[in-house]
Amino acid sequence: MEYLSHVFTLPAILTILIGTFAGVVVGGMPGLTATMAVGLLVPFTYTMDPTLGLMLLGGIYCGAMYGGSIPAILLNTPGTPAAVATAIEGYPMSRRGEGGLALKTSVIASFAGGTFSVFILLLFAPLLARQALSFGPAETFLLAIMGLAGIISIADENTSLIKALLSGVIGMIIAVIGTDDMSGSLRYTGGLVELIDGVDFMPALIGLFSMIQMLELAGKRYHSPINTSALGGSRSSTKMPKGISKYMALGSGTGTVIGVLPGEGATIAAFISYNFAKQISKTKSMFGKGNPEGVAAAEAGNNGCVGGSLVPTITLGIPGNSVAAALMGAFIIHGMIPGPELFTIYADRTYPFILSMFLANITFLVIGLTFAPYLARIALIPPSVMVPVVCAFAVLGSYALNQSVFDIYLMIAFAVFGLVLKKLGFSLEGLILGLILGPIAEGGFSQGMIIGKGSPAIFFQSEIAKVMWLIIAVLLIPPLVAHLRRIRKVV
Amino acid sequence: MTKATVDRLVLAGFVLLSVFLYLSTDSFTGIAQKTSAKYVRFLAICCGSLSLVQLGISILKRDSSGRLVLTEHLPRFLGLIAALILFGLCFKPLGFFIPAAVFVPAVMVMLGQRNFMLIAGTTVGLLGFVYLIFVLLLGVTLPGPSF
Repeated sequence: MEYLSHVFTLPAILTILIGTFAGVVVGGMPGLTATMAVGLLVPFTYTMDPTLGLMLLGGIYCGAMYGGSIPAILLNTPGTPAAVATAIEGYPMSRRGEGGLALKTSVIASFAGGTFSVFILLLFAPLLARQALSFGPAETFLLAIMGLAGIISIADENTSLIKALLSGVIGMIIAVIGTDDMSGSLRYTGGLVELIDGVDFMPALIGLFSMIQMLELAGKRYHSPINTSALGGSRSSTKMPKGISKYMALGSGTGTVIGVLPGEGATIAAFISYNFAKQISKTKSMFGKGNPEGVAAAEAGNNGCVGGSLVPTITLGIPGNSVAAALMGAFIIHGMIPGPELFTIYADRTYPFILSMFLANITFLVIGLTFAPYLARIALIPPSVMVPVVCAFAVLGSYALNQSVFDIYLMIAFAVFGLVLKKLGFSLEGLILGLILGPIAEGGFSQGMIIGKGSPAIFFQSEIAKVMWLIIAVLLIPPLVAHLRRIRKVV
Repeated sequence: MTKATVDRLVLAGFVLLSVFLYLSTDSFTGIAQKTSAKYVRFLAICCGSLSLVQLGISILKRDSSGRLVLTEHLPRFLGLIAALILFGLCFKPLGFFIPAAVFVPAVMVMLGQRNFMLIAGTTVGLLGFVYLIFVLLLGVTLPGPSF
């Protein structure tokens, strides 16, 4: 109750409202993602009150996850990749004049998924964080490796599995640059003073997730026009179909569980929830032709990912996805290192942050029920307007954290390097996860080696370590074997 | 260059990087030799072996990838990068607002926008938004001109 009073203050409510509204707007713009918005704004929260800063970012995360569904339903243009599954069912509904129902289903399902996942976060995060107390350096190292093993799940038809792993390792190598914590000597800085503290992951995050999208948009010869014919019939209000809550519950549960797994994002959560709904539906034949059950499951799934992804992030320091990675950056810049301390020393910031996400969910529910058809027009903003505006924020965001022009160049370098890697099928999510988990892994490894007197046996001794190795093997071996089999067939 | 050729060059670069990383750990001193050096060697071995496996797969596969197209419109792509670098260069002496007031309309025109009202509105809107929300409401300190 004490923490609730932190949420219900005028500055906090205003911050959550601004954050959520901004999130819905960003989510509604094709090409802009939640990662980009959170990543861009993290540096600006540095000078803010930490709790308010986190509330702002939490609001953006919740809002953006929902916002992507609006243009997906009305314009067949998903605002975020996570809304692709929503577009499959939502747009056909709009075409036959049921846009209002699709929007209503989408916002209520998003609210259900988001609220359920935040409830799970509130319930389980402190318990899991307490478990982290029994982790020594060896387990911390294995935890980071486990997080990286989760990278393989990022691999898709565009990203080779080996390249996804390689991306993570490259990220860890970049994280090595800077001062060696053990000896205090400089490593791989090339004489640059700006690299003494290492490569800050915020310019990297902004470069990889915001600037790349802007470079791609700017370099497109032709932007396909968006069909606005379904916008007209989106304001009619219809009753929700019977039994739709079953699909919302299914999506909420699936999204939350998938969100907890490191590396798994909202897009996967939405598609898996959608497929589950398709399997259990009594109207399977309607899928692909505008079935509200599909909209409900997909939207509850991608919003369910929000709370789920924050469970490993704030308890173990392993980001559940790229947005959670950006949010973790916000915790770190405010001196709040993920782990049990967040629920003891910093409880007065962590709990209000989690509770604020309930309010963020209510906020987008109200926004969605009231303004959704009007917000769809955000998707019609041309790239010639969007690109310079986002670039200006990207430059400002990269500079703001360390007041360093070098970070702006670093951001541009990461964008160009990342674009080449992306075109070659490497995983940018893997790269950023490696960059974030690198220092955690190195700290655990080095301390483990000291405790083990130079013997790597320490990483296999404890019961927890053995279980973690088993999980790493389960995560890595079957997909690797399947991948190698596929390659043998092709070669 | 074809996509496969660039891919192989990048992977070969990663193999070289791994070798360099491994060898560089000899220069680590004191306790770092027993701790950080081993960690860096571990990363070098992982990076090198993964790159070699992927390079092997790439060489065995028939090259049917076509040219690597980074962008469809090179002048705009390079123009945006140049504009960003210039924006960065102006940041220290001029702060945020003056370079942004030039950068935003310049990039809009470069990307084909010719509606003067939209260009002016977007520029003023962005600067006003940043000032109102970040400076006044959120209290963020933005860099100003050095003069």
